[in-house]
Amino acid sequence: MKENLKSFFKKDGVKSVLASLISILVGLIVGAIAVFLVGIFKDTIGVKGAWEGVRIIFAGILSTGRNVVGSLTWGYNAVNLGDMLFRATPLIMAGLSVSVAFKTGLFNIGAPGQYLMGTMTSLAIALSIPSDKVPTWIIWIIAFLAAMVAGALWGAIPGFVKAVFNINEVIACIMTNWIAANLVTWFFDGSVFCNQVEAGKTGYIYKTSYNGVATVKLGLDKVFKGSQVNGGIIIAIVIAVLVYIMMNKTTLGYQLKACGANRHAAKYAGIKDKRNIILSMGIAGALASAGGALYFLSGNTEFFWSTYQSLPATGFNGIPVALLALNNPIGVIFSGIFMAMLSTVGMQLTNLTAYNEYITDVIIGVIVYLSAFALFIRTWISTRKKEAVAKPSEDKEKEIQEEKTNERGNE
Amino acid sequence: MGSESEYVIEMLHITKEFPGIKANDDITLQLKKGEIHALLGENGAGKSTLMSVLFGLYQPEEGIIKKDGKEVKIDSPNDATALHIGMVHQHFKLIEVFSVLDNIILGAEDTKWGFLSEKAARKKVTELSEKYGLYVDLDAKVEDISVGMQQRTEILKMLYRDNEILIFDEPTAVLTPQEIEELMAIMKNLAKEGKSILFISHKLNEIMEVSDRVTVLRKGKYVATVNTKDTNKQELSNMMVGRPVQLEVKKDEAKPTDVVLSVRNVSVMSHIHKSEAVKDVSFDVRKGEIVCIAGIDGNGQTEFIHALTGLDQVSGGTITIDGHDITKASVKEKGKYMAHIPEDRHKHGLVLDFSLENNMVLQRFQEKEFQHHGFIKFDAIRKYSQELIDKFDVRSGQGPVTITRSMSGGNQQKAIIARELDRNRDLIVAVQPTRGLDVGAIEFVHAQLVKQRDEGKAVLLVSLELDEVLSLSDRILVMYEGRIVGEFDSKKVTAQELGLYMAGAKKDKKEA
Repeated sequence: MKENLKSFFKKDGVKSVLASLISILVGLIVGAIAVFLVGIFKDTIGVKGAWEGVRIIFAGILSTGRNVVGSLTWGYNAVNLGDMLFRATPLIMAGLSVSVAFKTGLFNIGAPGQYLMGTMTSLAIALSIPSDKVPTWIIWIIAFLAAMVAGALWGAIPGFVKAVFNINEVIACIMTNWIAANLVTWFFDGSVFCNQVEAGKTGYIYKTSYNGVATVKLGLDKVFKGSQVNGGIIIAIVIAVLVYIMMNKTTLGYQLKACGANRHAAKYAGIKDKRNIILSMGIAGALASAGGALYFLSGNTEFFWSTYQSLPATGFNGIPVALLALNNPIGVIFSGIFMAMLSTVGMQLTNLTAYNEYITDVIIGVIVYLSAFALFIRTWISTRKKEAVAKPSEDKEKEIQEEKTNERGNE
Repeated sequence: MGSESEYVIEMLHITKEFPGIKANDDITLQLKKGEIHALLGENGAGKSTLMSVLFGLYQPEEGIIKKDGKEVKIDSPNDATALHIGMVHQHFKLIEVFSVLDNIILGAEDTKWGFLSEKAARKKVTELSEKYGLYVDLDAKVEDISVGMQQRTEILKMLYRDNEILIFDEPTAVLTPQEIEELMAIMKNLAKEGKSILFISHKLNEIMEVSDRVTVLRKGKYVATVNTKDTNKQELSNMMVGRPVQLEVKKDEAKPTDVVLSVRNVSVMSHIHKSEAVKDVSFDVRKGEIVCIAGIDGNGQTEFIHALTGLDQVSGGTITIDGHDITKASVKEKGKYMAHIPEDRHKHGLVLDFSLENNMVLQRFQEKEFQHHGFIKFDAIRKYSQELIDKFDVRSGQGPVTITRSMSGGNQQKAIIARELDRNRDLIVAVQPTRGLDVGAIEFVHAQLVKQRDEGKAVLLVSLELDEVLSLSDRILVMYEGRIVGEFDSKKVTAQELGLYMAGAKKDKKEA
């Protein structure tokens, strides 16, 4: 039994999950300490308020408000849970985008730009195809697929300059991010999609529900009554599984990983390294822009383009989501949901206590920051486990010794 | 035992344990002042660990170290440096983007008002490099210079610090025969000047030539310390391996038949300098022979092999294999005709973070045998790699799933050789296939290449080691400054003759 347990903890997958969970826990604890400290030194909050803050950090997703005597109440909160899943959808997609690129040795910091391209393409198509002639579900599919194509092309640009001219993909991605931001503003500024129905609104374009296009609910609206959740989360999970299969079970994934781990050896073996770099960035772009499409095709989200001077945080948050999941596509589902939970918790903290929204953001930042130490913690677990192994058999001794010499040499 | 001051360094009963394994088990090593003391053992015998203990990188569990008879504690390389112990590591510790001079003075820089003052340093390094014949381009960046020159930089670094005890960790692995001879002379000179040298090696020729005494280690244990003049190569190698070893390459007369590889007027541009690294090279390799391109490192061999195997483009000429023109073919296309054991196994040969089994199918994962509609057949890969592992005796911690990075150099090389030879191509290109390997592994690699030849394969070997060139090949081509300057029958040429051609002192008139 003990042996079974030992071999269970030796598995790579288990190690990774354990590492991510420890990271999250450490992040939450440090975040809670920060909440507590901020609280007790602030007159408006005090020890009581600080303690409430700590409880919300850990379980805010299940808080249902305050009762008549003013203490916090807990229970099943369908709106919170549903909104969490809704917000998790684009985060999962952005996380997948970053993790696929990471596996190919590329740092896709271009997810915000790709996300915007997906947003623009999906909205433009969803709003311009007349819904009285074409069924809305067909419009939805066309808009979604077109967004992925647009994102793929946009993502392939940094991939192309990296592969052919060896220009660092980070620089190219940052450039394409800002080009995308301004391109989208320019496009919507001159478009017919500006919301002119609701008085007092400038800079917003129509929700896709204006045209009758909305992501199918798949019954999730019944489970999470009153929330914004829809079938997008299911689609994101299915895509995550597909990405997992692609990266781990197919020759395409093998090639991408080979290029990422050692481009020279891949080239030596006859793998087309340049093609794979472009392809990887293309896939990453398609995933990030699918995230934008899933968010804005929901039917009840508004896109605010006017003076769009900043890049969408969702795209950048793909980076911690991927890191926290150690670039495992299945792990990304959970880390994406975790990140969405944090933002829901942050809103609870702002709504229910005297903490203001800025300190809430700082605390979330601390949690995310510490959570991203997953890789470090995984290494720590591995070395601890190695030290614990029993004395190996005679003929293995030499190998281990060689391994040691080698490791030292590789430092 | 003599007086205490006879030994400049004593390592007494050193035991160093790693989790589950004793890397050094009660090892004693005594270094006399002014002697060259060789430390002999296979890869993994514990030589590097012992030297790391002396250099302060590891702390031993048991045992003491004495300097000049007084016990000392060496907790870090800084302590070692303070005791004037210097080390040239097997894997260089150089900063690639710094110049050679900057690397040499790193950590011991002279400053003037807070600014680097390189003038004195440059003078000292130049003197040292002239005195010992360690020629380097002081202003070149380390990433641009050859491995041999990097090694010389490391040696200069140690000399620049006026070290008294010099540890050479396999210094000759990358040097040319001439350079090795020069190095041997340098080492003897240094010893004459009173410096004490610890020379780690598994090359018996060098040990016999240069050392005064030899300490042999095997599997972490002390075997013996002998006077070099009282022993011989066979005895040393038997002590090192623990069984009688075949030192000479055993092979019959070559019976070459049809031409496989035909190279005509090939030129290749250099990436570093804007000139041709390979100029107008022509030769043939036939079935059933081992042809070796010999030459000093940096005379165009690497560029030629890169062009031949498709990692680079030729700038002129044609290459055909079995009558197919493959001059401009892709790496994959060329791979249909040739197997390639690359020079740099970490850079080109293996994806170090992949498992052993994934490395075994690096070129073949797209073949029907290993994939179905783009989905990898993991069972087939496992079975195939297990077969190769058994056939070529590739040893690793966890078999097919071992991460390649954790394997020893010798077994990494065995894995590459297994993969390449099993592809069963007419031409085998082997570039320095025994670099950094110990006697046992070299024996294996040589035997495999001869076996391939006898099975009717054409073998093109590139080697910097004269011993290997002479003993393994049937025909020798000497490359100097990008040209083939001589062609020899390996049985009719002497090392001295080859050396002259390699150094550019002699040239054959080129036949049409």
